[in-house]
Amino acid sequence: MTETATSHGGTDGEHAPAALVELDTTVNGDAVRTQVPPRLHVADFLRQHLGLTGTHLGCEQGSCGMCTVVVDGEAVKSCLMLACQLDGRSVQTVESLAGDELAPVQQALSDEHGLQCGFCSPGFLMTATALGYQGGCPSRGEIREEIAGVLCRCTGYENVVSAIERWFAEHPQQAGSGGEVRSV
Amino acid sequence: MTALEDSREQTAVAGGSLGASLSRKEDERLVRGDGRFTDDVEPARVLYMAVARCPYPHARITSVDTSAADRMDGVEHVLDPATLRRLSDPITVLRPVPGAPTLPYYALAQDVATHEGQPVASVVATSRHVAEDAVEALEITYEPLPHVTDVLAALEPDAPVLHPSVLESNLLAANSSGSGDPDARLAEADVVEEGRFRIGRVTALPMETRGVVAQWRPGARELVVHCSTQVPHLVRKQLAESLRLSESDIRTVASDVGGGFGLKLGVFPEDVLACLHAMALRRPVKWSEDRAEHFRASTHARESVHDYRIAAAADGTILAMTDVYATDIGGWNSPFGSAQLSSVVFNGPYRVEDGYTERRVTLTNKTPIGAYRGYGQPEVNFAYERLMDRLARRLDLDPVELRARNMLTPRELPWRNPSGAVYDSGDYEHCLRMAAERIGWAEHRGHSRTPREDGRLVGIGFSSFVERTGYASARFLAKRGSQFGAHESVTLRANRSGGIDVYTGVSSIGQSSETAFAQVVAEVFGTDYDLVRVHAGDTAASPLNTGSFASRTMIAAAGALREAAHALAAKTLRLAAWRLEVAEEDLEIAGSVVRHRRDGDVAATLADLYTVAITGQGIPPEEDPGLEATAHFEPADAAYSFGTAAAAVSVDPETGEFDVERFVMVHDAGTVVNPKIVDGQVRGALAQGFGAALSEELRYDPETGQLINGSMMDYFVPTAADLPSMELLHTEVPSPVTPFGIRGVGEVGTIPPGAAVANAVCDALAEYGVDLDSLPITPETVWRALAAVSEPASPEPAAPDPAGTGPSDQGVEFR
Repeated sequence: MTETATSHGGTDGEHAPAALVELDTTVNGDAVRTQVPPRLHVADFLRQHLGLTGTHLGCEQGSCGMCTVVVDGEAVKSCLMLACQLDGRSVQTVESLAGDELAPVQQALSDEHGLQCGFCSPGFLMTATALGYQGGCPSRGEIREEIAGVLCRCTGYENVVSAIERWFAEHPQQAGSGGEVRSV
Repeated sequence: MTALEDSREQTAVAGGSLGASLSRKEDERLVRGDGRFTDDVEPARVLYMAVARCPYPHARITSVDTSAADRMDGVEHVLDPATLRRLSDPITVLRPVPGAPTLPYYALAQDVATHEGQPVASVVATSRHVAEDAVEALEITYEPLPHVTDVLAALEPDAPVLHPSVLESNLLAANSSGSGDPDARLAEADVVEEGRFRIGRVTALPMETRGVVAQWRPGARELVVHCSTQVPHLVRKQLAESLRLSESDIRTVASDVGGGFGLKLGVFPEDVLACLHAMALRRPVKWSEDRAEHFRASTHARESVHDYRIAAAADGTILAMTDVYATDIGGWNSPFGSAQLSSVVFNGPYRVEDGYTERRVTLTNKTPIGAYRGYGQPEVNFAYERLMDRLARRLDLDPVELRARNMLTPRELPWRNPSGAVYDSGDYEHCLRMAAERIGWAEHRGHSRTPREDGRLVGIGFSSFVERTGYASARFLAKRGSQFGAHESVTLRANRSGGIDVYTGVSSIGQSSETAFAQVVAEVFGTDYDLVRVHAGDTAASPLNTGSFASRTMIAAAGALREAAHALAAKTLRLAAWRLEVAEEDLEIAGSVVRHRRDGDVAATLADLYTVAITGQGIPPEEDPGLEATAHFEPADAAYSFGTAAAAVSVDPETGEFDVERFVMVHDAGTVVNPKIVDGQVRGALAQGFGAALSEELRYDPETGQLINGSMMDYFVPTAADLPSMELLHTEVPSPVTPFGIRGVGEVGTIPPGAAVANAVCDALAEYGVDLDSLPITPETVWRALAAVSEPASPEPAAPDPAGTGPSDQGVEFR
């Protein structure tokens, strides 16, 4: 898959002041080789270059957590990382979680009514996915601390915490591995 | 830690869907990342808009030179104030303040800007980066003018006047209402408790900022506008007015909306600008608000100063209640500007025959005030509930007993309050008693006020409330000049796959209307919940409606859904009876079929019957073809939700630091359509209530007039680690004025946290005589209050002098 920035008007384009940078990365299990403007951040790269609009933007300064993705197993706010920094790394977005059926962590979020407008849900799901990679079985208090980097104005968080707690309880093996990484 | 009362089982509506915690229709797409929020809409050849904004709180715009920006590579179009004025009319107001003149507010400031962040010019370019670079290249010169940011100072005679062409002062309008003879009651009362209560300025801060994508096809005269709004049909109306188009020319689409909370009610300047650019260029134009813009160019809320009085007899019986208040509206009257419910429920759940309110809607050089969940109700609740606790202390009464004595009883309802609001039904005292029992009030009350082992003092505080949900009537709205109705409208249409499509102008903002609407249709029609699909937020597909705000959607929409589903079901049964050659009365709709009540072999599938109707092939001669119904419904009156919250806190009396250790919310939402959703609404609103009570406040530097904490790093909304556990309890008294007995539920949680926590902190610090009178309550405000009472004679102020931002001594006065 080869992309050139000139085909994407969203951010940067033919008027980028600097030369494009080579990028060789893995997105949701697929190899992506492309060129990106040096000042393009990961969230815009995912949304505008790859069409993965499940990753949302809420503040673009690392405060709200809407844009959280998983990079090499760790939760990362994708508005604070440059696309060129993905070189040689593997990134996982919310689009990777479900197959025909929802992934257990998604099902748990729905079952516990852990979302209302749903704008923050990808941020919580990817934060939980990264938490799952750490293994163990976090307490409610620990879950609250771990997800405090993602804001929500709808739910009051209680049901988000319940959903992640339930996911860990019902699917310890998947929580431990983070689930299967599927292709885009 | 959730406790649900068994009383829910008394739900008045029996049956399959209604009252069940069914899975939400909205969830699957949202958890997959497959929602379609406005910024996800990316038409071919789209261009990007950026906006130049006034950096001053009040300034004359002396020149706008766009030539350098025009010459930049990638810049396609620039709008300056003069061009804008040629092409458009001022933005209209949807819910005017009664008596207020129209303020001319164009999408770009004309001559004078009245708040920081007001749009002055806009640029469209091939990328957002280029557009923002071009904004930097605009040469705009300003002449800063004297400004005023304090709401009371703005009413002083020497304050700079924001809109001198229309007004002689910053008083946009004053409204009063009342009944009885409160002044006489005040004069004869044994006690009068009074106080000034300041409510801080906050903002709804939906996680999705605003956004718009405009596309214009001149030959077709078709303007398609995707935008993040709670009211697509009202946006269409307002755009038609500002753009000088017919509503026929405009289609507004709000697909998924990432939170509204009242902020996304109506047209903002950027919506008009994006449309004008798109019409000039004949190319799609997109604007996605960034968070820094959001803090300055979307709306704020709540800021007000209330001078409250309660007159009472020695036994605690309330004789009169009054509220004279100044409420900030910022630099412009936004479409839903100035919260209008403070006056409506100023007496809360208490029996007040003699009372009045006077509201002074005041312009200041700050971001415009708009609607925000609660719309004036949290503000007055803080004031009257703080005063009730002070009254109890003064009369040496138990604050729970004082409340109970003054609450309206079920037998007194319906009852008209001094503002004319008719409280429909409910058992207010029952909720109060439940809250007192759950929080352990009796044990606490009997306990001495000695510090705990950890040195902290514990306190319990209550807040009892009513919440107006829905609108009284179109007649009520007409008297206030509101540009919308009290009804909702839906269209139901059967399809050949055996499903029912529901079309609504209510956009999906997180309130779960797709789910709740489908539940009502499934229940009334008798079909499966999975066979009902709700299509929301597209003005081209939906009947003209009002929208999602004021906790009104279900109250009004449920009636329309019920009526339309009844009509569709009746026709379906007539067709089935004709086809099956049996009597209609012997048939029933069950899931995906119509069948004979006693002989299951006599049946037809809904898919077949719908196809018959849609094709018109095989229908009775007297029937029209088609299977579709549109219904409009206006509820008989507004319904008043009610309840009591209780907070238990511990306070460090040395530092003022405090923790909310428990929070109990007892609430009545009438008949519950979906318990899971209702709980979610209450929890979410409580979280916003806690934010406004404890950590959120937009602060302006009085010297420069600048917003000093306009970012998510500096404005603290609660995180998952900040909120106490909420214990929810419910009662379920059906409302007599709404379909199924539903009461609105969206806003109620915002109301009680401030008063309950403040009362709890004051209870913990009762021996110090600490009295809190402003929101938010922070450790700093508690420490200042402690310092003020523990060292009253100190010549040095115990805390920094707050005079610069504090209340002025003149301003609002009792009349």
